[in-house]
Amino acid sequence: MLIELIDVLISGITNGSVYALMAIGMALVYGVTKVFNFAYGSFYSMGGYLAFTVFGLKFGYFPVLIIAVPLLFLAGFATEVILIKPLRHRADWEMAAVMVTLGLAMFLDNTFQAIYGPFTKSLPALFTGGMELGPIWIGNQNMAMFVISIVVLTSFMLFLSKTRLGMAVEAVAQDMDGAQIVGIPINVVFGVTFAVSALLAGLGGILLAPKYFVSPFGGWDILVKAWVITALGGMGSIRGSLYAAFILGIIEAMVGYWIGFTWILFAWFAVLLTTLIIRPQGLFGTWG
Amino acid sequence: MGHGGNLMKIKKDLGVLLAVYGLLALLPIFFHNNMSLMNILIISLIWAVVAGSWDLIMGFAGIFTFGQIAFLVIGGYSSVIFCKLFGISPWFGFLIGGIVAGGAGILVGLPCLKLKGAYVALVTFAVHMILEPFLKSDIGRAIGTGGAQGILTVPPLKIGSYVYNAMEPTPWFYTLLIISFIAFFIIYKVVHSMWGYSFIALRDSELFAQSVGVNAFKYKLIVFGISAALTGMIGGVYANYVGMLSTRILGLDLFLILMVMLVLGGMGRFPGALLGAFITMFISESLRYFDTYRLIIFGLLVMVLVIKMPQGIIGLIFPLGKAGIIERTILHFREKKAKKAEMIT
Repeated sequence: MLIELIDVLISGITNGSVYALMAIGMALVYGVTKVFNFAYGSFYSMGGYLAFTVFGLKFGYFPVLIIAVPLLFLAGFATEVILIKPLRHRADWEMAAVMVTLGLAMFLDNTFQAIYGPFTKSLPALFTGGMELGPIWIGNQNMAMFVISIVVLTSFMLFLSKTRLGMAVEAVAQDMDGAQIVGIPINVVFGVTFAVSALLAGLGGILLAPKYFVSPFGGWDILVKAWVITALGGMGSIRGSLYAAFILGIIEAMVGYWIGFTWILFAWFAVLLTTLIIRPQGLFGTWG
Repeated sequence: MGHGGNLMKIKKDLGVLLAVYGLLALLPIFFHNNMSLMNILIISLIWAVVAGSWDLIMGFAGIFTFGQIAFLVIGGYSSVIFCKLFGISPWFGFLIGGIVAGGAGILVGLPCLKLKGAYVALVTFAVHMILEPFLKSDIGRAIGTGGAQGILTVPPLKIGSYVYNAMEPTPWFYTLLIISFIAFFIIYKVVHSMWGYSFIALRDSELFAQSVGVNAFKYKLIVFGISAALTGMIGGVYANYVGMLSTRILGLDLFLILMVMLVLGGMGRFPGALLGAFITMFISESLRYFDTYRLIIFGLLVMVLVIKMPQGIIGLIFPLGKAGIIERTILHFREKKAKKAEMIT
C-alpha cells in the first residue's frame, strides 16, 4: 500500500513537472498581455511535428533543438505582431483576441493534418531502461522529463528575474502604463512574451512526443489542461500555476490509478469548480 | 457596439428581420425540387438559431461562453429520450428539450456569476468537453443516450395525419422557418426590452450598471437561461430533422463553423447571426470536397474577419456611426432629386 502510494506520487510529480512547463507559458502570456491564447495547444503540436520532421532526417535529438527553438520563437512573435497587435486598440479586443487565436488554432491543426495525415506519429524514446530503488522502479524517460522540465523552469525564472528583458516583461505584467512611462517598449515585450510562450509549449511538445505521440489535434488536450492549471493557480500568476500543476499532476496520478483514466478530466474540473466557488480568482490570482 | 434605445433603430432591426424572412419564404417556390439546396436551407435555419442565441449571450450580454453546442446536444438528447420514454409527441419534445437545456444553462450560469472573462469561457467549455465522455459512459447509457453509437432512431414528427419525411423538404422548410422566426423574434424582443438594455449596460460597464440598480446576478442568469433554452429547443428539432443523434456534433469543426457564422454575420448586431449562418453554410457546402482544406480556409477566414471586419456583414450594410450602403444609396438618390429640382427652378 505504501509502495503503491509512493509509485503514484512519483508519477504524479513527473506529470506535474511537465504540466508546470506547459502551464507557465500560458500563464505568462495571460499575465503580461491579458490575451487568452487558444492556439497554445497548436504550438505544442508544432513542436512535436518539428521534432518528427527533423528526426526523420536521421540526425538525432540535438539538431531538433537547434532548428525548433528559433522557429517556435519566430512563430510566437509573428502571432503577436500579425494577429494580436491590430486588435489592441478595440474596446472588445479581449474577446476578439480569443477568436483570432481560435482561428489560428484551427488553421494550424488542419494544416498539420493536411501535411502529415490524420494518424499519430511516434518518436523513439530519449532514454530507455530505468533504475531500481529497493522495490520502487523509476523509468529513465520519466526521470529525464522531470530533470529537463526543472532545468527549463529554472532558466525561465532566471530569465525573468535576472535579465533586462525578463525584468521588462515582469514590469509590464505588473503595471502596463507605468512600464510605458519609464520607457519600456511594450510592443517588443508583448512579442517576446508570445515568442517565449510558444517556445515553452513547443519544447513541451518535443519532450512529450516519445511518450504521448504526435497528432494533429493532440494539442487540444494540452490546451485544456494548461487552461485548467492556470485557472486553478490564478490566471496570470506564474507561482500559482507551478503549485497548481503539481497538485493536479498528483490528482491525475491518483485518480488514474485508483478510479480510472476516464475520470481524470472530471476530477480536474471538480477540483477547479470547487476552488473557483470559494476563490473566484483562483489560488494565487488577483483581480485585474 | 452601442445599442441605443431609439425607435428608429428598433424599427430597422425588425424590418431587416422581416425582410430576410420574407425573402426566405419565397425560396421554395423556385427551388422545392432541389433537394440538396433545400437541405442546406433547412440546416442553415437550425444553425441560425444556435448562432443567434449564442450572439444573445456573447454579443449582447458580453458573457464569454463556449457551451452553446453543449446546450444543443443536451436539448436534443433530452427531447428524444423523453419522447421515447413517455411516447409523447416530438412537438412537446422540443419544449422539453428547451426546458431541460434552459435549466442546464441556469445551472452552468450559477458558478459563472462571480467569475470573469476567460474563467467563464473555461467553465462553459468544460461542460462541452465532459459532455461527450458522460454521454458515452455507463451512466449516460442508462439514461438512454445509446453510448458511443448514439441514438439511431428518433420518433417521427407528425402534424395531423401528415408524417414529416426526408423526401419532402418543403414542409420541413416552412416549419423551421416558423420555429426559427419565433426564436429570432424572442431574441429581438429580449434585446429591445428592459432585460436587453440591462444586459448591454452590464456588458459595457458592470460597475456603472450595478450602481444604477441593475441586478447583475439576476440578469446574467436570465440570459444564460434564455440562450440555452432556445438552443436546446432547436436541438430537439435538429435531432428530429437529421433522424439520429450522436456525440459527433460536439466536434471542434462545428464549433469553429458556428463561430464563423457569428463573426461573419456581426457579433452583437441583430440579426447578423441569421445572415452569417446562411452565408457560412453555403461556403461550407461549396467547399465540401476539400475537407481538411475547408477547415484551413475557415480558420483563415476567422482571422481575417475578426481583424478586418469586426462588425461583420451587418456592419457593411449598416455600419455604426455612419451611413451604410442602403442609407447611402437613398441619400444619393435624394441628392440627385434635389439637384434636379434646383435645375428646374
